[in-house]
This record gives sequence, C-alpha cells and structure tokens, in this order.
Amino acid sequence: MEEIIDKAEKPKWSQTREVFNRLSKRITAMIGLVIVLIFLVSAIFAPFLAPYDPLEHSLGHMLAKPSWDYPLGRDELGRCILSRVIYGARISLLIGTMVISIGVLLGAPLGIISAYYGGKVDFIIQRFVDTMLAFPGILLALTLIAMLGVGLANVMIAVGISTIPIYARLARSSVLAIKSRQFVEASRSIGASNFKIILRHLLPNSLSPIIVQSTLHMATAILWAAGLGFLGLGINPPTPEWGAMLNGGRLYIRVAYHVATFPGLMIFITVLGFNLLGDGLRDALDPRLKT
Amino acid sequence: MNSLLRVEDLKTCFYTDAGMVKAVDGISYDLQEGETMGLVGESGCGKSVSALSILRLIPYPPGKITGGKVVFEGKDLLNISEEEIRDVRGNRIAMIFQEPMTSLNPVLTIGLQIGEALEIHRGLNKKETRDEVLRLLRMVGIPDPERRIDDYPHQFSGGMRQRVMIAMALSCSPKLLIADEPTTAVDVTIQAQLLETIKDLTSRLGTAVILITHNLGVVARHVNRMAVMYAGRIIESGPATEVYEHPRHPYTVGLLASVPRLDKPRVGRLVPIDGQPPDLIRLPPGCSFFPRCSHRMQQCSMERPELRIVGAGHLAACLKDLGS
Amino acid sequence: MTPGPLFLIFMTGQYIIRRLLIMLPVLLGVSLIIFIMVRIIPGDPSMVMAGPHATKDQVEQIRTQLGLDRHPVTQYFIFIGNLFRGDLGTSTRTSLPVTREIMARLPNTLLLALASILIATVLGVLTGIIAGVKQNSKFDYLSMLVALFGLSMPVFWLGLMLMLLFSIHLGWLPAVGAESFKHLILPAITLGANSMAIIARMTRSSMLEVIRLDYIRTARAKGLKEKLVISRHALKNALIPVVTVIGLQTGTLLGGAVLTEIVFAWPGVGRLLVEAILARDYPVVQGVVLLVATMFIFVNLVVDILYAYLDPRIRYQ
Repeated sequence: MEEIIDKAEKPKWSQTREVFNRLSKRITAMIGLVIVLIFLVSAIFAPFLAPYDPLEHSLGHMLAKPSWDYPLGRDELGRCILSRVIYGARISLLIGTMVISIGVLLGAPLGIISAYYGGKVDFIIQRFVDTMLAFPGILLALTLIAMLGVGLANVMIAVGISTIPIYARLARSSVLAIKSRQFVEASRSIGASNFKIILRHLLPNSLSPIIVQSTLHMATAILWAAGLGFLGLGINPPTPEWGAMLNGGRLYIRVAYHVATFPGLMIFITVLGFNLLGDGLRDALDPRLKT
Repeated sequence: MNSLLRVEDLKTCFYTDAGMVKAVDGISYDLQEGETMGLVGESGCGKSVSALSILRLIPYPPGKITGGKVVFEGKDLLNISEEEIRDVRGNRIAMIFQEPMTSLNPVLTIGLQIGEALEIHRGLNKKETRDEVLRLLRMVGIPDPERRIDDYPHQFSGGMRQRVMIAMALSCSPKLLIADEPTTAVDVTIQAQLLETIKDLTSRLGTAVILITHNLGVVARHVNRMAVMYAGRIIESGPATEVYEHPRHPYTVGLLASVPRLDKPRVGRLVPIDGQPPDLIRLPPGCSFFPRCSHRMQQCSMERPELRIVGAGHLAACLKDLGS
Repeated sequence: MTPGPLFLIFMTGQYIIRRLLIMLPVLLGVSLIIFIMVRIIPGDPSMVMAGPHATKDQVEQIRTQLGLDRHPVTQYFIFIGNLFRGDLGTSTRTSLPVTREIMARLPNTLLLALASILIATVLGVLTGIIAGVKQNSKFDYLSMLVALFGLSMPVFWLGLMLMLLFSIHLGWLPAVGAESFKHLILPAITLGANSMAIIARMTRSSMLEVIRLDYIRTARAKGLKEKLVISRHALKNALIPVVTVIGLQTGTLLGGAVLTEIVFAWPGVGRLLVEAILARDYPVVQGVVLLVATMFIFVNLVVDILYAYLDPRIRYQ
C-alpha cells in the first residue's frame, strides 16, 4: 500500500504508459482487452453491424439452423440470432455501466464517510453493509426485483444496489490505509486539513483498485443480469437480452440447441474477456517486485 | 589439521529481469572446529547469500550456485544428493535467521518447532522429544518452560523468539552454527545478551560459529576471526582484534570510522563512506571499491586485487599497503 | 503438543461470543429489510399478502393476523413473534403454510448445496495446492485457465450445455428431476463449477504466498523433506484464507442454486422462490429469503469459528 501512495506523486502520463507496458506483456490480458473492445464496438455500433432487425420475426422460419444468410440461425420466433446477440451486447453494456455507476456513486461515499468519521458512524454503516452482504449472491437482487417488479430499469436498480456494499468496503479500506499513514506523519492536527489531505491522496490511490474492481464487476453484473433475464425476471419480451434469449431457447434444446447455445456462449466470452482484462489490470497496477 | 569447513571460490548468481546478479563472486575461507568467525559487510554484499549457499537453501528460480566447493567433514556439500544435504541441515550444520517473528511458523507451537529436528534426525518419540525440548528451553534461558512449551510464537517477545530459534538450531548439537544477523531485529539492550548466550552455548557445545552482521561494533568481542565482504567478495580477513585494530583495506577502514565504537572513546564525528554500493549486475573491471575509495590509484581500476598476506593470518585485497 | 481441549474451548468460546454479538445487529437488519419489503410494494399490504385470488374476508383476516392496521413498530413485533413460533404465513397460491412449503423442499436444496460445495472444495483445494507447489508447470497454466473459464461461465448455460452433452446427446445421465443419485450429478457439477474455480485460484495464490515466507525456509534449514514442509508448515497457513472463501462460496452457492434448480427442474427452495416471485406469492418469497439469509449468516459464523481454530493469533485477541 505504501508504494501505491508514493507512486501517486509520479506524473500521470508516464504511469499510464508503464501500466500499459506491463499489461501488454501478458497474452491473456491482451486477449481480454480484445474481447472487451469487440464487445464495446458491437454494443455501440449495433445498428450498423447487425445484418437484420433483431425484432423482426418470421414465423415460417422458426428455429432455423445456422446458414450463410443467418450465421447463428434463427430463434423460436424466426428472428436472426446473430442480430439479436449483437443488440444484446448493447443491453448488457447498458446494464453493466448503470450497475457500476450506482455501485460507485452510492457505495464509495458511504465507505469514505464510514472510514473518515470512524467510531459509531463507522460501526453503524458497517453493520448496514454487513446486512446487505448477508444476502448471498443473487438473492438481494432477486428480493429487490420481487419488490420492484420486472423490467430493464428494475434489473439495473436491483443489481446496482447489490453492488453498493462492495464499493463501500473498497472505499473504506482505501481511506483507512491513507488515514493510518497520515497520522504516522504527525504533521497536521487540524480536522479540515486532514480532510483535504485524505481527499488529495484518495483519488489517485483508490483509482487503481476501483478500476480493477469495476472491470471485474462488469463481468459479475453481466452474469447476474443475464441470470435474472434467464429466470424471466428481467427484460420485457421482445428486447434481445442474452439471458432472456437463453430462457426462450431452453424449451427447444432437444431440437434446436443453437438457440440457447449461442447467446450463452456470448455471455461466457464477454465475461471471460472482462475477467482476463481485470486480472491483467490487477497484476499490472500492483507494484509487485519480480526478481 | 583438517578444517571443519572449507569454502573454495564459491559463486552464486541470481537471474532477474534486469540481468544476472553476481551475489557471491568467488569467496574462500577455512573454519576450524569450535572456531568463531564474523562475516561483516553492508546490506546486499552477499554475506547472507553465501551462508544460504552452504546449506544449498538458495531458491532455484531465480538463484543458482554457479561454482566452487564447500567441503564440510570431508564432503563437498555442493555435490551431494538431496537426501544427504537434508541430513546435514539442522543436524550437522544449523542456521538461525534475522527475523524471528517471520522465521517461526505462527500456527505451530514452539515446542513442536524446536522438537522437529530431534524428531527427524534423532528419531526420538513424543515423550523423549518433549523432555529434550524442555531441557533446551532451560538452556537458552526461557523462564517457565513447562508452560511456555505449548505457546505460539506471537506470545513471545523478540528476544525470546530469538532464543527459541537458538534452541531449535542447537537441538541436535550441530558442529557449525550459522547465525544470519541474529540481533538486527532485536532491541539494542537485548542484543548483547543474545550474543553472550550464543557465545556461551556454542563454546560449551564446541560448535563453530559463523556470525553474519552488518554491524561491526557487535562482532569483535564475540568472534575469533573476522572476514569483511564487499560486492560479493571477501576483501579482508584475519584475527578479529587484528582486523579491528589494524584494518588494511580502505573499505574496512571506512566501516570502522562510520560506526560508533563502544570500546574506544568518542573521537570526533562519524564519517560515512561516500557513494553507493555497486550494481552487482554490471561490476566494473578492477577493484569494485574503486569509485568510493579515498586511496585509489589508476592501477586499481584496471586489475582486480587478490587477497594477499598483510600480517599474521591477516589478508587484504588491496593494491596499496595501508600498513600503519 | 497442542493446547489442552478445555483451554481451547474456553478461548474460542470468548471469540465465538464476540462474533455472535456482531451477528445480532445483522440478523436484525435482515429481518427489518424483509419486513419493509412487503410493505413497500405498491398497493394495500393486506391484499398483497393475501394474494390476487383472495376474497374480501380473507383479506380482512390477513389484516388482523399480521396487524397491518396497527402501528408499524407493533407490526414488526408481531412479525418477529410469528417468526419465533415458526409461522411464516400462508402461500397465496396453494393456501398451505409457507413453513410447510419450504420444509418440503429444503432438504433437496441442502443436498444439492452440500454435494456442490463438497465437489468444489475437494477438487478446488487439491488443484490449487498442486498448481501452487508446481508453479509455472503445465498443470499450473492449464488448471488456472480452466478455472478462469469456470468462473466466467454463466451457471445456467453450463447446466444446459452439460445437459445437452451428457443427457440428450450421450444419454448417460438423467436431465431433470431428483429421483435418484444419478439425478444429483449434473446439477451438483454445474453448481460446484463456479465455486471450484474460485477456490482453486484462491488456494493457489495463498500457497504461493506462504511458500515464499521465511518460516518455510527455516523448516527446510532443519532438514525436513519437502513433502513435510508443505504438509506440516505450509498447508495450514495457506488454508486459512481459503476457509473464508469457502464460506463465502457457500453463500454464492445458495444463490446460484436458484438458477441450477430451474435448469434441472430440481425441486428445491430456489425453484420455489422463482415461482413465488413470478406469481406474486409474497408470503413464500418472504419466507424463503429470510431463511436463506439466516442460513448464510450462520454459515459465516461457522467459518469464523473455523478460522479461529486454524489461526492461533486470532484466538488470543
């Protein structure tokens, strides 16, 4: 941790270049980066990349096997799976970004306040965080969906709220690390200055863990959202969400397994990409000594 | 008479991303039975690495012993099998390390850790081991051994932990004890006590000692001989008092001038040695102390000085004669 | 040469009591969240709890039963009181007591969870140890790559693919239902895969960290065989953080069980929960969530105790 704090003093540009250098040395991280880029491109340029309208059904061609015209085949309503998968990236990106935004914007301040004030405030906020974490895995999101009802917005809110405790913990430990170091310095004793010091050091230092955590969390967010979609608790029907597509194809798995397989494959590859990238970033940003 | 330990031209390297580090660049010395030797030098000069090399405890990536011989009780330790060297470790040659907190396993009782060597090398059963461990605890001066034997390392103070390490090392009455900076991580007040304990116990057992330290002030009273290392080589060696009173290598002179001495009255200010320790990846030709030496001559940067006799049993690797 | 058992229990007992004290506010918080949950849903809470098919009389009955016309704090105490009596309400779909619905299915979920965590722990820890001890070997690279794959796979997709291969294509194992032991295999592997990957990675990195520590060097310096160095000195230390991960994974497992049960039509509480959410059967939703959260909290307590047993430093704090 100490090294991270010291590192913050170096100029930003050379730091970024150094990190990128270390990152590029690992093949797996680069593969992850490529996958993530493809994902982003698909999501952003979906209308230009998708060969057909994802919502256009064709009841005469239900469950058509993959062909030259329709590389991934057609689903149970005759829609082009490839197009739907490409648009699905858009949905997943949207969900992922919103989830992480909610998590960071609501969770980080909570953690910062908790660590800064300490004492009773810390205790109460920590128990609150513990309570949220007492709901294992997807359960909190499920509970929230049960309360809020189904739909895209609710999925984002539900999964987003589930992420809050993680970012709260992260922010808290970052501040605590800086706090302890500052008091060792024994320089300032006035409350206001301390706050400024903490803030000044906080951003550059917690930036790395937040970047790493967010990348890895994109993976989790996409997985959970797809899970909810699979359970039928996610998006409203024609919208091409990967999990929901899997749910739709599930019934036909014996006769047309491609309907369920490809969307799932996309989830897998995308999540893998974010995990590879996140792992790589963690190793690249972590000042480890390699002798 | 055959020496207990004879190190001949030992060389150990580390392969790093930045290059090959010559941590030990050809050192040689003899040690007799019961003799105590101090191995002195700055951090990074290779003294710890040379000690670990004797027991072949250098981790293979990234380190490797690349040359030389270490003859102990007639056998070259660098050439024997894995099984044979394990037989030597903890049994014929024992080692204690600098940081007693991290060198002891936090989840095992000290009783178990001390008794391990006995278990393996002497084949004692549980009861016999326990009795012997109690005796050892008493020997190193740990009070209330009956109760403490089942305690964990974190329940002991730094000095006490180091005594536990000593008990552990001496459990099989080794012929040689290598003590790698045993007092560095300990309070100044305890340092003297610890060294006394080591000296007392090893002389009773007839154990030879290699005492490694960067603190010259500590060494002189407790050892017969002294060897000074710099940049992976021994640059001066001889009887302790001789080297202390009449240092012949500029580095030794510098070291003595930069360290407070309890045995001499305060003479002016401490003088640190100019410059930085050398880069062990890119050692210059010639004397490795050249850049920092206040007695340097043109010749020193071109040929590497070998150890030559400058007094009774006293060797120094310097082209200049500092005899005074 | 380990401390006497009575002493051990006493010291750990103090630690347990402290953990229990921290647990209480969390249990409280969980019950509060669930309590609030139902009352936040738009609409008359009595109608919500009575269900869409209830008659006016039934709605009134629920209102008095749950005290929905009384002060919120009183309501809460009624709620807690009911909990302690084992009364979780009545399912709006089947009109059976929620407790009965849950108990009929809980053993199935527990069986699945147990089988999964067993597979995940045993295989995960073994893989992690070997990968860590033989760092950078082929086994290491391969197993960690597979672990990364396992981490990234959506549990429901993995389940479907396994079903596709082993059930439909090869016909070796049954696809749905829970009649025999054979039925347990695919769901258990599916559910365990994710956790196994995480446990393997954690064990490996913990092992790597421990092997580099000074006391391992001391052990070797005493002449111990490498196998003994690993098993006696390294393992216990390396497994300490792994225990925490296993505990957390049990939790994630309880969550992932929901998806697995749907895929394989496994008759457990996960499936019950999803059906209840879709049918707006709030008493059941409330009951299941409460149960699972409480179980998770206790699992974490057990993990904490185990942690204290393994690491003497924590014990004596």
